[in-house]
Amino acid sequence: MSQASIRVRLTLWYGTALALILILFAGTIYFVISRGLRDQVDASLEEAASVAIRTLGEHRFGPFLIFEDLSQNFPELALLDKFFQIFGPAGQVTIQSANIKSREIPLSQTAFQASLKGQATFESVRFDEGVPFRLLSVPIRHTERLVSILRVGTSLYPTEKMLQRLLLALVIASPIAIIVSLLGGWFLAGRALMPVNVITCAAQRIADGDLTQRITSPRSSDEIGRLASVFNDMIARLEISFRQIRQFSADASHELRTPLTITKGETELALRRPREADDYRQVLESNLEEIDRMSRIVDELLFLSRADLGEIKMTMSPISLDSLVREVQLQATILGQDRQIETILGTVEPIVVDGDELRLRELLLNLVDNAIKYSHPNSQVELSLRQIDAQAELKVCDHGIGVSDLEQQRIFDRFYRTDTARAHASKGTGLGLAICQWIVDVHQGTIQMQSSPGAGSCFTVLLPLRAPVV
Amino acid sequence: MRILVVEDEPKVASFIRRALEEESYAVDVCADGQQGQDWAQSIDYDLIVLDLMLPGIPGLELLKHIRKSGVKTPVMILTARSEVDQRVKGLDAGADDYLTKPFAIEELLARARALLRRAGGVPTGVLEVGDLVLNPVTREVTRGDQRIELTTKEYALLEYLMRNAGRVLTRPMITEHVWDLDFDTFTNVIDVYISYLRNKIDKGREQSLIQTVRGSGYVMRADV
Ligand SMILES: Nc1ncnc2c1ncn2[C@@H]1O[C@H](COP(=O)(O)OP(=O)(O)O)[C@@H](O)[C@H]1O
Ligand SMILES: [Mg+2]
Repeated sequence: MSQASIRVRLTLWYGTALALILILFAGTIYFVISRGLRDQVDASLEEAASVAIRTLGEHRFGPFLIFEDLSQNFPELALLDKFFQIFGPAGQVTIQSANIKSREIPLSQTAFQASLKGQATFESVRFDEGVPFRLLSVPIRHTERLVSILRVGTSLYPTEKMLQRLLLALVIASPIAIIVSLLGGWFLAGRALMPVNVITCAAQRIADGDLTQRITSPRSSDEIGRLASVFNDMIARLEISFRQIRQFSADASHELRTPLTITKGETELALRRPREADDYRQVLESNLEEIDRMSRIVDELLFLSRADLGEIKMTMSPISLDSLVREVQLQATILGQDRQIETILGTVEPIVVDGDELRLRELLLNLVDNAIKYSHPNSQVELSLRQIDAQAELKVCDHGIGVSDLEQQRIFDRFYRTDTARAHASKGTGLGLAICQWIVDVHQGTIQMQSSPGAGSCFTVLLPLRAPVV
Repeated sequence: MRILVVEDEPKVASFIRRALEEESYAVDVCADGQQGQDWAQSIDYDLIVLDLMLPGIPGLELLKHIRKSGVKTPVMILTARSEVDQRVKGLDAGADDYLTKPFAIEELLARARALLRRAGGVPTGVLEVGDLVLNPVTREVTRGDQRIELTTKEYALLEYLMRNAGRVLTRPMITEHVWDLDFDTFTNVIDVYISYLRNKIDKGREQSLIQTVRGSGYVMRADV
């Protein structure tokens, strides 16, 4: 039954445990009570015997003992629940009480032998009619010699009747108790497991591909409630990353399709009929541009997916940010030449941080490249570096097209480019800032932008200073 | 035949325009959704080529909007995504055809021809007026057994006249369907091109096919 549901197993375990407990309990009760009853019978026999012996002693154990004396001294005899017998030293009956009537209850061999040794004996006997008796045989000795044997007996019938009733009650009541509690256990297990069923159904729907499903659990603080909320959190995160992946691949394919459409279209158009050499040249130039764009997208995508997988190796070393800023400024000056965009240095303080030089340079170049790309001709881009508390503050500011507040939240997203940016500069992949964000993150820093549309933007990078060597 | 191309990627728009112009269509290009919608509603285009990913108004919205306002011009949508979903939505919104980027130029032109033919109600594709025959696929024009060579503009004008044979076409109508937005309406360019056409088609023949309707415009007719 390895397939049995938890509900069945719980109920069976519960039932078995209960049955064992009940059997143990019933057995103990039966044992204790039957033992108690017998002890009571034995005690009354002993008492009767001692009274009888005392009486016999008063008559000096003479054979002249008569029953009348006995009954006078021992009123319990009137109750008829006990009988007396006195045997001679050879084991023959010499006298017996009237209530024994004609029934023959001889002295057993065991009792006789024990009497010879001077020991009293308890016996339980049952005669043909089935009436059980309890017998006590006590030797009466005078000066080390066995004079006679006194036997006191009583019927065990009432005791036995009572024990039978008890047994009957236990045998009938226990199974009923077990069945009732099995039903109760089955019901309770079902109730306790119902939220699990709900979760299973929801999980099934989710497994079928509907990630918008959530589990609704009425109780929120118990084990099941916690399971449900953990489960919901997990699904929510899955849903988000699924959506991101889908969005990402859709965006990636769209961004790659555009240059493909252009190269295909331009080339086919050129081939439709003979053209001037100059036309061919233009087509080839355009195609080259698009091929460059595609390889840039592919490179950056590859970088980001390797970064996601944690496969980018970082070699951390002390980097002097101020000299890096100066180097990048030189490169930026060349980049901006075509459109008369000057890159100037503001405050540049000497600052050392721990970092990967290649990546930090890439970060700076990306920001400066954006600043130049999204600037108006004949404007300035400013680079500055200052220490603020225990952080290096790197700023890249421009007087370009800017980004509206609404769009600012999304510019670090992969492939996101504002419409104004698309219209302003066709070259661009929308991946640069996503890469910047990643680089800043692995350096435990932050990156932010302030911008007003049409007036310009400022990107601020904060990096922790190099930890002092202890 | 005048075509509106709504496409924000400048290079894509540029080669589509050149390809269509080589086929002697008049082409207007627009990179912004809002502007595209305004043009589509105010100018009687013969065909609209519409990219779905646009700044301003998304292509699908634009399409729904112009259809609601009663524009019946055939629309061919361009999608960058090959997802069935996008095409179905486009067709549901009132598009007549779709192309998935990247597409073959010849396919774009063939589909454009098919849409124009369907809209013009010409089933065979070959236009005939009297003994003058124009084949839009090969772009061959013959009168009798004689082949006639035409410039792109002349061809466009003739095709428009022949598609509307028997109907009087005013100068503004001709402007709208044969010339694009760069055309300067104050010149007498139309009259000049009509005279070029007459020279090539009607000169020295018994029957003149292009007739002037005084005060209104021109009409193409085989019977007098
Ligand atoms: N200096 C800036 N000025 C205005 N907009 C910017 C600037 N830098 C970035 N942006 C906006 O952020 C978007 C994403 O930038 P990025 O990831 O570098 O992509 P790309 O430079 O390829 O467009 C840009 O398309 C642009 O809209
Ligand atoms: Mg960039």
